[in-house]
Amino acid sequence: MRKPEFIYVSYIETTPERLWEALTSSDFTKRYWWNTSVVSDWKVGSPFSLLLNGQTTDVGEILEADRPRRLSYSFHHILNEAARKERPSRVTFVIEPHGKLVKLTLTHHDFAEDSVVIDGISKGWPAIMSSLKSMLETGAPLVIPLDALFIAELDEVYRS
Amino acid sequence: MSHSVPSFVYTTYIETSAEKLWHALTDGDFTERYWFGHRVASDWKVGSPYKFARQGTGSVEGKVLISDPPKRLAYTWDPCSPDAKRERTSRVTFDLEPRGKVIKLTVTHDNLDEGGKTLRDISGGWPMVIASLKSLLETGRALPADLPSCAAEKTDA
Repeated sequence: MRKPEFIYVSYIETTPERLWEALTSSDFTKRYWWNTSVVSDWKVGSPFSLLLNGQTTDVGEILEADRPRRLSYSFHHILNEAARKERPSRVTFVIEPHGKLVKLTLTHHDFAEDSVVIDGISKGWPAIMSSLKSMLETGAPLVIPLDALFIAELDEVYRS
Repeated sequence: MSHSVPSFVYTTYIETSAEKLWHALTDGDFTERYWFGHRVASDWKVGSPYKFARQGTGSVEGKVLISDPPKRLAYTWDPCSPDAKRERTSRVTFDLEPRGKVIKLTVTHDNLDEGGKTLRDISGGWPMVIASLKSLLETGRALPADLPSCAAEKTDA
């Protein structure tokens, strides 16, 4: 049986450099990713964490950082108990020029068997990537209600 | 499970109304702008035929299966290319759901042949078409790009 993975491709009218900045700078991510901060020095082997409204939701380690082409980090959701017990999965962004556009391929893969995380990330990434595209093209991110995504792992955050 | 028929699902969120999005999916003048020159034509009644054509040459055709504006649209999908003709008729479903001030659009393309040309083409094609649709509705401009060989008849082989 094929291993489960989540792949999301988008085409954005921007430059690879701006897209890299948008993925790695909290000034950007806080705008399009429900006030989420990304904390890392983006060097291979360095720690990485996501904070939603100041609360750490995910941690990991930078596995690849080839600005502005390829970024990969391990991804361990720690808010929800069942997810915390799982081994980390892996997130990879590939940024490729495509004519006047940039093709962004997000792959979330290497999940633990019977992963409980895959359901939540499958709901979350399309919303985050849609808002990112809007922000880069129009200057304004999307306002998508987080609770409308029904991500069980983040229940505690939006109840707080 | 190994014999399950593959399906392709792509979800995006667009700052628009469900009515505008429905129009964008069903109006030939509109699809021509973001669908890289492909115009769609149909009366969008259940059982009616529809057809996509670029510069007068047919690219995809089928019949309308579900037409529930502005919530759900489904049609069969028969590419006009000779290679794809040998494959089973697949199916495309669009679900439009309001989420706050934006619309969640889910495109589900199913009943595809494992390893077939249609699966390969649509897996590359939908992210590009939907990205262009989103850009057109949000910025007033479609994406300046060409569709990969997918919906075009010509093959380089």
